Amino acid sequence: MDGKCYKLLLIGGAVRLYFSSTSLPSLIGHRVEFATPLNSFKRIQEGVFLLQQGVDPYRGDLVHETPLLLKAISSILIHYAEWLPFLYILLDLCTAALLYSMSRTFVAQKLQQQRQERKDYAKDTEELQYSANDKYIIPELVLVAYLFNPLTILSCVALTSTVLSNLLLAMFLYTMIRRQLFISVALLAFETVRSLYPVVLIAPLLLLFARRSVSLGIGICLLFATCCLAVAGANYFVMNSWNFLDGTLGFIFYFRDLQPNIGLFWYFFTEMFEHFRTMFLITFQLNATVLYLVPLSIKLRKEPLLLATVLVSLTAVFRAYPSLGDVGFYLALLPLWRRCWKFMAHGFVVFTFFLITLSMMGALWHLWIYAGSANANFYFGATLAFCTGQIFLITDLLFAHVKREFCLYNGQKIMIDGEEARILLE
Amino acid sequence: MGLLSDPSLSTHNKLVDNLAKHMRKVCYAFYTAGVIWFMCLALPEFNHGTYLSENALSPGLVYPEIRIDANRLAVQLLEELQRERKDHQSTTPHAWILAKFKEFGLETHTHNYTLRYPFGGGKEFHGKNVYGILRAPRIGSTEGIVFSAPYRAPSSVHVDITSSVPLLLAFADFARRKNYWAKDLIFLVTEQEQLGMQAWLEAYHEGDRDPDSTNSYLLAGNLPARAGSLQAALNIEVQDFEIDYIDVKIEGLNGKLPNLDMFNLVQRIMAREGVTSGYKQTPRKKRRSSLSNYEQNLRQILAMLSTQSSGVPNGNHGLFHRYRIDALTISAAKRVTNSNVKANPSSAAVPLLKAIEGIARSLNNLLERFHQSFFFYVIVHNDRYISIGDYMPALVALAACSVIKAYLTWSTLEATQKSDDANPKTETASGLESIKLSLPYGSVLIYLAAALFIGYMGNVLPLHQYILELPVSAAPLTASILIALNVLGFGLPFVVVLPPGALELLHISLLLIYGCALIVIGLLNFSLGFFVAVLTTPMVIALNTKSSANSTLRSLTRVWTLLLNPLVVIYIIVLIMSFYQFPELTLQQLLLRAATAAMDASTFALIDSVIYGNWLYFAICTVFLPLWIICWTLALAKRRDSAIPQAKLKIN
Repeated sequence: MDGKCYKLLLIGGAVRLYFSSTSLPSLIGHRVEFATPLNSFKRIQEGVFLLQQGVDPYRGDLVHETPLLLKAISSILIHYAEWLPFLYILLDLCTAALLYSMSRTFVAQKLQQQRQERKDYAKDTEELQYSANDKYIIPELVLVAYLFNPLTILSCVALTSTVLSNLLLAMFLYTMIRRQLFISVALLAFETVRSLYPVVLIAPLLLLFARRSVSLGIGICLLFATCCLAVAGANYFVMNSWNFLDGTLGFIFYFRDLQPNIGLFWYFFTEMFEHFRTMFLITFQLNATVLYLVPLSIKLRKEPLLLATVLVSLTAVFRAYPSLGDVGFYLALLPLWRRCWKFMAHGFVVFTFFLITLSMMGALWHLWIYAGSANANFYFGATLAFCTGQIFLITDLLFAHVKREFCLYNGQKIMIDGEEARILLE
Repeated sequence: MGLLSDPSLSTHNKLVDNLAKHMRKVCYAFYTAGVIWFMCLALPEFNHGTYLSENALSPGLVYPEIRIDANRLAVQLLEELQRERKDHQSTTPHAWILAKFKEFGLETHTHNYTLRYPFGGGKEFHGKNVYGILRAPRIGSTEGIVFSAPYRAPSSVHVDITSSVPLLLAFADFARRKNYWAKDLIFLVTEQEQLGMQAWLEAYHEGDRDPDSTNSYLLAGNLPARAGSLQAALNIEVQDFEIDYIDVKIEGLNGKLPNLDMFNLVQRIMAREGVTSGYKQTPRKKRRSSLSNYEQNLRQILAMLSTQSSGVPNGNHGLFHRYRIDALTISAAKRVTNSNVKANPSSAAVPLLKAIEGIARSLNNLLERFHQSFFFYVIVHNDRYISIGDYMPALVALAACSVIKAYLTWSTLEATQKSDDANPKTETASGLESIKLSLPYGSVLIYLAAALFIGYMGNVLPLHQYILELPVSAAPLTASILIALNVLGFGLPFVVVLPPGALELLHISLLLIYGCALIVIGLLNFSLGFFVAVLTTPMVIALNTKSSANSTLRSLTRVWTLLLNPLVVIYIIVLIMSFYQFPELTLQQLLLRAATAAMDASTFALIDSVIYGNWLYFAICTVFLPLWIICWTLALAKRRDSAIPQAKLKIN
């Protein structure tokens, strides 16, 4: 970490601090795009109150934070409520710093790997290779993308627990890149018990640590399962009941709250016939977790971090209660693949998509809820377009990566009989 | 070739390159397509006949029961009221109205409110509304319907609508005798035009909240009695019992409209009672002309959109929309034409009373709020409409111009950069992406923020305590602040020197923000968005930051941009309006009068925004003014490029 980086962190903190002092937190805290039933601060306040009253918060349908974190936040909220925004800002800055160091390590590893493989590369591919300069540029871009993305800033200002998820994910990625197996498995287990979907990130872990041996893979899986059980057990001892499992994981899996959000679940589950619910529930949850897991793991077996990026972004699109904070997190990982950007054709289109759909969401929400003239279909249209934009982005990244790999070994200009060759997809 | 799975290695798309060469043509084609689509909407093939989709309304299912005696009562009440008016030249005869409500056996209350006028040293105005509630015999007061009549004192400058109150009272007397009401009926007499209505509605919905008295200008107070959630409202403005026709007014605050079912209901019932009624009805307009005249339809559409675009309600009904209450005004015009076919005065008001009864009974049938039919529509003719799905493509095509231009400009950014930089690229690794990465994002963001700040100040400054205490009246004060901000925006590009490449980036961000703003404003108030798009899109397309552009073209664009400054546009609109209103004035007088009128208009817009929540002023200040500042910066582009060649060299 150099001086510039500290400066950026300070500015990022100052921006967040400034916005928390305005009227923005309560406004964003009520926006469904940022605050879902899973992560909204209001729910945590409810949970803290219920805890204080000696009521099991997981009996009702309000609180969906794990007992460990709820207890921790409640002790802060009761004694130092006014410091909570500072804590969240600090945690968010930690996330940014972790992402920064993670990307530094990652680029260093890439450079080393490149040195070994250089002789196989084609001639005119310097611009596809990580250069020495990237060691400084990429981490900085990651830092800027996390610190100054309005989505992350706003979700931090609104005190959503996405801040915690992002921190845990960043810690996980950091330890994974640093090859600290035990810590990363423990972190992953912790986050999985909180929000279910990160379970898919076991795939990049396995690819990184156990590519050669099956037994090690099974070992890691067992370790992960034990960690999950341990975390669940720890949560159990906090509450002395297993209700929390249904309140957190069950709540996510069964999609009990139909409050609109930026995802795809709510609209379908409002419209659906009740007796098809189970089937669609399983379909949607499979889509969010394992459907893409196997093909992507096979395709990206050499790039565990890319696999992690894509999985994080896919779950951010398809999960049951997505929020814009999740989107902000995976957007911050994109600069890692800067050398693929050359082949990303839709960057601008996706940006335009994001800009227009996000501003439309505000207008349509107003028309639907306050003015009463539009309806759910309008709003869902905007969120659907937003999801399409995200999928464009993810697909684009994957294709860019494939093309980069191809060009790295075959050269960027392939001439056949003096003409530039067209590459066909078969 | 799949869009997502295009296997070609180069992101350089030939199609995009070719399109980029004809960027302006493509954009103008889209613009023309949008405008032509809009023009087509007036054709009968593009619009649909209205129909009632809420079955619960069942208009005309019951025989009207209101009889001649109600008419007699109304005439008698009118005579009494006329006598009262002699003593109340500029006030409302509250006591008389109260006494009548009580006499008819309604639960009668008054509502006091205060307006703290922020300008001119802070004056206070007081007002009083009178309302009577007829409790529904069949249900506990969970839902209500409002029948309101504005009262105008004889000293008012507006058209005399004294007959509305007697009509309302006569209907109240009739309704009280019936036992079939399933909703509470509220009979409301408001004063001071929309202010009284706004105060009453605010008190009805937010009266029990703690008044945040520091920041509000209208102190609405609380109501002593309510009648559940209001389902619908009918505002009655009657000039005389002998009516020529009825004009149904629907445009509400911020361009909101009541549900189309409500409009259709009124049309159906009026037709059944044999009353000539229509949307924007004029003495000569036929109620139903089967050969829908294209020109007439287009005029009607444009008339509707222009009423809607200012966001100012054209009747008291418009304020209901803010609270999700579907409402409209039936405004009955006095019979002046064909005075020889005078109807029998003893039964003149009967059709109108019957119509009100019919509407009331249909509304009484409602099982839930209006939700079946359209909220977004344009009325083409009394019985034809255009739905949102049909008119939105016009706006989308216009907004698409700027987005397409942004995309093409972005994808050809590399080429323009290369041609601008005379020296060949030194670094082989710096491809397309690194040029895009090295663009001065920071300075462009700061510039955008500065433009936004200037615009935002237009919102804050005129209401700032310090400025309000200045001994200047409202209109010159607001106008001078706005002019000062515009001059600031005008001067901004002369003062600030942007780094190379910033103009291109600024151009792209302008196009994106502009497209976004058009779509969002168009969703909230289609008319405003569409008019702004039609006016400004050609200029935005014409903007060109390339240094190689034709100089006459460039100066033309500058003049064009200057003409589209929000203040200039407002002035021109007011000028045209005053030209039609006062054709006898000389040019100089006209210009002067328009200037004062424009000053007044800006003040009224500001007052509307703080009292009624009209966001037109906010949109002009915070969206259009900053956008204009950026347009102006881009229109000036050439001068600035030649002024900073040295700075450019240094960076290279």
